[in-house]
Amino acid sequence: MADFWGTVNNLRDQLVRSSRALTKKDAKLVSISSNDLYLKSNYQDFQRYTEVDLAIAADVEATLPSLIEASKRLVTADRKRVFEERGKKFAAAHAQALEQARTTATYAWDASPISTARLSAELWEVIKDKDWASVGGGAGRLWNVEKQYQTLLGGGAAGVGSGLPTSVGAALAHRKYGRFCVSIQNDGDFMYAPGAIWTAAHHRIPLLSVMHNNRAYHQEVMHIQRMSNRHQRGITNAGIGTKIEDPNVNYAMIARGMGIYAEGPITDPKDLGPALRRAADAVMRGEMALVDVVTQPR
Amino acid sequence: MRFILSFLFVVTVIPALKAQTPAPATSTTPAGNAQNGKKIFSNYGCYQCHGFEAQGGAGARLAPRPIAFTAFSKYVRQPTGEMPPYTSRVVSDKELADIYAFLQSIPQPPPASSIPLLSK
Ligand code: HEC
Repeated sequence: MADFWGTVNNLRDQLVRSSRALTKKDAKLVSISSNDLYLKSNYQDFQRYTEVDLAIAADVEATLPSLIEASKRLVTADRKRVFEERGKKFAAAHAQALEQARTTATYAWDASPISTARLSAELWEVIKDKDWASVGGGAGRLWNVEKQYQTLLGGGAAGVGSGLPTSVGAALAHRKYGRFCVSIQNDGDFMYAPGAIWTAAHHRIPLLSVMHNNRAYHQEVMHIQRMSNRHQRGITNAGIGTKIEDPNVNYAMIARGMGIYAEGPITDPKDLGPALRRAADAVMRGEMALVDVVTQPR
Repeated sequence: MRFILSFLFVVTVIPALKAQTPAPATSTTPAGNAQNGKKIFSNYGCYQCHGFEAQGGAGARLAPRPIAFTAFSKYVRQPTGEMPPYTSRVVSDKELADIYAFLQSIPQPPPASSIPLLSK
């Protein structure tokens, strides 16, 4: 769930699409975002109009610390106790969710294509002792996110194609702090602007890009399947124009051709950890590195 | 920066954490061909939302220990949530039995405590 609209609404992918507000009727919506500044010039961002009561065009990172302090000053002793109680419940729920996520990860742990939980756990092992930041694909449920700069929301409206260039741009922003940037890169997204890799090579931008390669524009595969089923026809045809196979793309070869370190395609989960460590070494030397991992659909 | 807005919607992802009720092998469970079931699971697109090993993904985990066959076939024919329906016009009863046999053939995974990356 990346954008404002998707956070406060729910939409079902059916023949007649219906959406439902997730907020209470009288809730006041306020957005603080630099998105509102993207409506002209070179970089533009258009999507569903967000109905808010107050739209503040501002830098979130600069705004939030003082907003949090201001909110804290309004908290009475009573409210503080309520928050502490709630905090305890959240902590317990989090511990339980983590335990559940670990159990869930055991299913298909040794499968090939490699499960996304396995990919996430292997990657966490490589980054957990570093000052890391995710610049694409979010952080896994098994990861411990403690700092505000460790996650980055994806492009809004489930759009495809912004992931790779965004990760390179974000890694550039992190570079001066010496952070270890990591991105989970979808194969469909890769197909739009692979030239971003050359940019990273040219400007020596360190970034570990790990591919969640399900050999499809998988969001579209599922959408077409939903529609085929509802029309009761063509249910074996959902892959036409949506799967990226025959031939399979050799992403590591493309990446090497752009001048960075790359490994893959990796299909055996046992090969994944060592490949990630070798790629991480290249990133520590100040380069971008890519590991192509052939994965389960989701 | 957006290159393509493929769809202006965000699809709700149902966590694959639903409690699984183990299915007793009752007389209502028809015999099926697990090998063919595995093939259909892929060809008819079940894998897209449930994973190749039925471990779950955008949709629920279906195996090991799938829900009882009657509940299973009822759900596939008339799902109540985000899952699209598969009517008997597109997936025959025989094919459903084969898919079910495939789900029953999937073994229980090892406990998280036996996997180093998951036990800390
Ligand atoms: C486009 C995604 C999608 C596809 C394709 C799909 N499913 Fe599902 N399925 C779901 C979702 C999501 C759920 C969770 C409940 C819901 O929202 O409907 C689900 C739930 C189920 C359940 C109920 C599980 C439980 O524990 O109650 C069964 C059984 C099932 N699916 C079987 C199948 C089979 C068999 C196929 C292929 C013939 C299939 N599904 C294809 C998305 C999908």
